Amino acid sequence: MTAPAIRLLGVSKAFAGHRAVSDLSLEVSRGGVFGLLGPNGAGKTTTLRMVMNVFAPDAGSIEVLGGPAHGPVRDRVGYMPEERGLYPRMALEEQLLFFAEAKGTPRALAARRLPAWLERLGLDAKWRSRKLNELSKGMQQKAQFIATVLHDPELLILDEPLAGLDPVAASLMRDVLLDLKRQGKTLVLSSHQMETVERLCDAIALVSRGEKLLDGPVSEVKRRYGRNTLVLAYDGDGAFLGSLPGVAAVSDFGRYVEIRLAEGGDPQGVLHAAVARLRVSRFEIVEPSLHDIFVEQVKCHGEPA
Amino acid sequence: MRLLAIVRREYLERIRSKAFLIGTLLGPVLMAGLMVLPGVLMAKQRGNPLRVAVLDESGELSAIVEEALRSSMAEGQHRFDVRAPAEGVPETVRERLKAQVLDGSLDGYLYLPRGALESSLAEYHGRNVSNVMDLGLMNRAVEDALIGVRLRHSGVGDERARAVMRRLQLKTIRHSESGEREDRGASFFLSLILLMILYTTVAMWGAALMNGVIEEKANRVVEVIVSSVSPTQLFAGKLLGIGAAGLTQFLAWAGFMLGLSLFGGAVATAGGLKLPDLPPLVLVLFVVFFLLGYFLYGAMYAAVGAAVNSHQEAQSLVFPVMMPLLVGVMLFPMVLASPDSALAVFCSFVPLWTPLLMFLRVTTLTPPTWQLLTSIALTAATVVLMNWAAARIYRVGILMYGKRPTLLEIVRWIGRE
Repeated sequence: MTAPAIRLLGVSKAFAGHRAVSDLSLEVSRGGVFGLLGPNGAGKTTTLRMVMNVFAPDAGSIEVLGGPAHGPVRDRVGYMPEERGLYPRMALEEQLLFFAEAKGTPRALAARRLPAWLERLGLDAKWRSRKLNELSKGMQQKAQFIATVLHDPELLILDEPLAGLDPVAASLMRDVLLDLKRQGKTLVLSSHQMETVERLCDAIALVSRGEKLLDGPVSEVKRRYGRNTLVLAYDGDGAFLGSLPGVAAVSDFGRYVEIRLAEGGDPQGVLHAAVARLRVSRFEIVEPSLHDIFVEQVKCHGEPA
Repeated sequence: MRLLAIVRREYLERIRSKAFLIGTLLGPVLMAGLMVLPGVLMAKQRGNPLRVAVLDESGELSAIVEEALRSSMAEGQHRFDVRAPAEGVPETVRERLKAQVLDGSLDGYLYLPRGALESSLAEYHGRNVSNVMDLGLMNRAVEDALIGVRLRHSGVGDERARAVMRRLQLKTIRHSESGEREDRGASFFLSLILLMILYTTVAMWGAALMNGVIEEKANRVVEVIVSSVSPTQLFAGKLLGIGAAGLTQFLAWAGFMLGLSLFGGAVATAGGLKLPDLPPLVLVLFVVFFLLGYFLYGAMYAAVGAAVNSHQEAQSLVFPVMMPLLVGVMLFPMVLASPDSALAVFCSFVPLWTPLLMFLRVTTLTPPTWQLLTSIALTAATVVLMNWAAARIYRVGILMYGKRPTLLEIVRWIGRE
């Protein structure tokens, strides 16, 4: 088997005494979508920047596509940083060709690929000669994405790829990402939007305060947390649900609530109590959402041990 | 290949900007203006021709002297507007002339007393008797007229008289160890203009480089690029790309000046103006010293740009970079006054000043070849060293955000692994 797409071993990085990442080990296998999750300031961006060799780790080793992060593998990786970076006063087409050239792709080849990408992302041909600062924010984001993929990388590293996109654009972007996955590319994305991650990712790692809390394939992570979550939709005042015996937590989603049971909690007991006082329209035992796992884990980790 | 992509991007961005177009076109206009201006000013300074009359008591000279004054010229212009005095008794004519001088309708009158031809005595009466140039001209014209009359009286023919009286034309020629060349007078202005162009362009293109670096950092473009090419490659690409744009502009200007010195002479002379002398070697060195200056100061400007987060922050750090350039410019009167003095030679060998001061010496008198080559080699070595240090500062600085580092911290970056 080929080397993993990314392998981090005991990676640490501190800025001015603040530990941004500590002793982080990770492995991202080839193919599929990998999500790096964590609250703001968890060290996601720092980790991705180290993978991209924007700066080197203080300790530990990083391997990308089987080689060192600063080596020639860079040309096979596409990177979309969290803070978007394009030249504001440069024409769109010129700019995209330039970024592909900087990755060692011949200009002519990039020029042949460009129209298909512009069309795929819905950027009209009339924008090609416009300067970037004449484009809307959403279009700039799409342009940034094209700059990331125009050299046809096998590994894509996307820092918050859907942030700042309207729902239509976000859904388009999701489709494009899934297309790339189908083509056998490896995608690594960071996010704190659990819904995005849940619908896109095959595997995740959850980080908080620079440390890894858990990782693995999404299905496995969920299984680890067991089938201890109930979805309940009802009419009436459900405030009492949280104080029922065996209930650990209730998340209100407005139209329905998610109830997480404590260890040994009985779903049937909860159903009985609910039916007695509410008009129940839906009751389901489900896997926990990543959102719940995320919130719980981060909370546990955040509290002093 | 990648480096080329960066160079190309930088080059095109500059070349396509309006500022570049305006600067390139306006430069020659400004240069031509500055070159022609001194001549125009000198002509203006001389003022209008003097309105004079001749009062002749000898009775035989007035026609000849008036004719001599009418035909005497300076810089291609007649200098005397000769008016006929009123008719009448000498005493009243004299009073009338005095009154005219006082009321300003006449600038002065020339009085030739009885026996002036023998005694060679004459008087000039006027409100202003300190305009040496014109009075010298008058002196010579009248003297020539008198000598001419005397020669004719002694039986010398007109033809011979003219031959005998041919005046001396004194050319001034500057000597230096490496050669000699005719001093055409306007070289002071030319040296000054070329020096100013060098200074402005080095400062301007250096600042353009710095602003480019700051912008890339502020827009976070740098993060994307650094994930593709090394910071050193990016540094080199920017330096070369912007330098190429500067060189393009400079070559356009140098070409214009070459054209002017080759073909403009005839046109200018026809227009009554004098063009300074501009040998091709000076033009070649003009470009060479621009490149040296740009790469020397550009490296420093780029390092400053990498260290700061915004244009505002750059202002205080850019001062130490500008300083040597400014001091170099301020040394010009000393170098121009005596380009071969030990102090001037020394200053022209200081690498930070060589691009300005060695070039200044080249424009006044060509320094010995060994001096020229040694100073260029020294500066080139400094350029290499400076760019090595700047590239190391750049590498650390472009990915550093937050508090502006002090000058000392920046210098320490050079040694950082």
